Amino acid sequence: MALLAALPVLLSAGLLNAAVQMLIAALFASAYSLLAGRAGMLSFGHAAYFGVGAFATVHAMNALGGNGLLPTPLMPLVGAAAGLAFGVVAGWFATQRSGTAFAMITLAIAELLHSLAPQLKGLFGGESGISAMRMPAWGFTFGSTTQVYYLTLVWVLLSLLLLHFHTRTPAGRLTLGLRENSHRLRFLGYDVHLLSVSAFAISGLFSGVAGGLQVLANEAANYVVFDPGVSAGVVLNSYIGGVGVFLGPALGAALMSFFGYAVSDTTQAWLLYQGVLFVLVMMFMPQGLVGLWDAAAARVRRLGAARAVPLLLAWLIAALLLTAGAVFLIELVQRLCSQEYRALAAQADALPPVTLWKGTWEVASVTTWAWPLGLLALGGGLLAFAHQQLKATEEHP
Amino acid sequence: MDTLLFSLLNGVIYGLLLFMVSAGLTLVFGMMGVLNFAHASFYMLGAYFAYTLQGLLGFGLAVVVATLLAGAVGAVVERFFLRRVHHHGHAHELLLTFGLSFIVAETIKLLFGNFPVNYQVPAMLDGSAFSLGGQQYPLYRLLMGGVALVMFALLYLLLTRTRVGIIVRSAIYRPRMVEALGHNVQFVFMGVFGVGAALAGLAGAIAGAFYTTSPNMALEIGVMVFVVVVVGGLGSLGGAMLASLLIGLLTSLAVGIDRSLADLLAFVGAKEWAQAVGGLLTLKLSSLASTLPFALMLLVLLLRPQGLMGDKT
Repeated sequence: MALLAALPVLLSAGLLNAAVQMLIAALFASAYSLLAGRAGMLSFGHAAYFGVGAFATVHAMNALGGNGLLPTPLMPLVGAAAGLAFGVVAGWFATQRSGTAFAMITLAIAELLHSLAPQLKGLFGGESGISAMRMPAWGFTFGSTTQVYYLTLVWVLLSLLLLHFHTRTPAGRLTLGLRENSHRLRFLGYDVHLLSVSAFAISGLFSGVAGGLQVLANEAANYVVFDPGVSAGVVLNSYIGGVGVFLGPALGAALMSFFGYAVSDTTQAWLLYQGVLFVLVMMFMPQGLVGLWDAAAARVRRLGAARAVPLLLAWLIAALLLTAGAVFLIELVQRLCSQEYRALAAQADALPPVTLWKGTWEVASVTTWAWPLGLLALGGGLLAFAHQQLKATEEHP
Repeated sequence: MDTLLFSLLNGVIYGLLLFMVSAGLTLVFGMMGVLNFAHASFYMLGAYFAYTLQGLLGFGLAVVVATLLAGAVGAVVERFFLRRVHHHGHAHELLLTFGLSFIVAETIKLLFGNFPVNYQVPAMLDGSAFSLGGQQYPLYRLLMGGVALVMFALLYLLLTRTRVGIIVRSAIYRPRMVEALGHNVQFVFMGVFGVGAALAGLAGAIAGAFYTTSPNMALEIGVMVFVVVVVGGLGSLGGAMLASLLIGLLTSLAVGIDRSLADLLAFVGAKEWAQAVGGLLTLKLSSLASTLPFALMLLVLLLRPQGLMGDKT
């Protein structure tokens, strides 16, 4: 907490902007996980509620001749109201069905908005979008990134607190029941549809807050916020973090958007890495990255630190080696398939060397390919060895 | 009149194409209860495989090989990915296929670039089939419709007239019983998944040449296919057919209508009011064509939540 408050002193303006985006992504993922994790309703179109909140906020900022409907610090309330209202309407439709059909309906609602938005120029500003200004209020100018950061921080922490509080209320408890056994809930006399809509609407509300904060940070909104990629991103972030734990999705989203920011200049394949990580998490660690910590702690408890720590270290090194090998290979292939390289190869009528990580690599040479493959083989071997050792120690404790 | 006939024909053929993709999806759903989010990715894979192989093998053979390759990828996905997470439940399987579709799209962007590739109808098939009122009708469209119909007939015969069909259909209803009778149900599942993927791949290989082949094509058709199966009823092959044709006709006819809601309101004398309100009321129906299927879906959900021909809730 103290660290979060001290960040503006420690970071440069660019990194502080990234921190603002991380906070917003964290809130969005937490709002999403209320629905997907706790209520067990998978939504693939959450960009809709984020986007509606964003556009409502941008219109509120431009209202009354540019003075704004509310003072700037209270603007996300407009996003919240819009997210809630749209969440109630969309949720009423979507929760008519459960499970798989629900997932498809949420996707279709988001696509409906995405295809409608560029047509409605007055409401969504067409291709160019709508821009607005942060007005000074309460003695702050909101001109510097630092002030925007603190505003975002306060709103995100407040929202997370409220979301956590929601898990403690009877309504929040019943949300869990929706996931576990909705038939039984109905049998006990609860209105399941009403409960589902309320969970949906609350999720929409906090997504709207996140959208509003994004507009406050960027001073603009574009129909791109309805892009399916936004919906996909929040699903990936939440599950990579782990929806089973309250802070899991927030941590996952913060981590992913930090990496997205950090590597955006060096690689074009970041989304691919994110997708691969997501599939790996889904297949081998269903509890998410947060669950990894618990699993490691459980091993240490069962085997004792002296035997567990070397094993865990071996796992870690194997994972790093495999990652390095895979990244190397993917980046190499990416460079080879890029348009610039193809043009260069066609021009020279031969295969020119590839520049990657401050070195040049001959395409036809064996060593170029031996590096990534060697890393992969080494990592795989170490992983198999660690696995074998683990089995052996568990069989003969 | 001619224009109407042409848009009707276009609508039916687009509908048949949608059915080709949604048939596999709804078949797999009926059998395993898994909604395969990556299903439309097989459609895209089919198009890209055919595009890559076209230079090597010629168009016809490339389409066949692309179909087989898409089917093989589908079988691999079932065997090595879905089966591993089966015990975690359906939601988990849905998420896994979602991740896989993401990976496929990103890999294609990586290998072929994030823009449409130049995959075109071969010159031999690029003629017109007939002309009506001075307008030419492309031969290739008829060919697409023909392939879809032949495929549908083969699928129908396979499911209803052969031993394999009997086993597949019984495995949908009583997998345990079929297993007890000595059939390898796991293998049947893998086979059905592979065949579904191959059908989608075939549709992609053929349609990709006519429409655009780009990394976004999976998402575009995928969303439409989801609308089809929700409207038709999950797991119902007949419903998928009906809904595909309905949506094909709806989008194709709407493109030709140059009217807006304001014109409709003119009948009750509220045109000025509608034009003053603007926004949705003055938008031409033709520019709303892509949003109509979603509106239809919401309407169906409102009136008949289980879908037009669905019985599962």
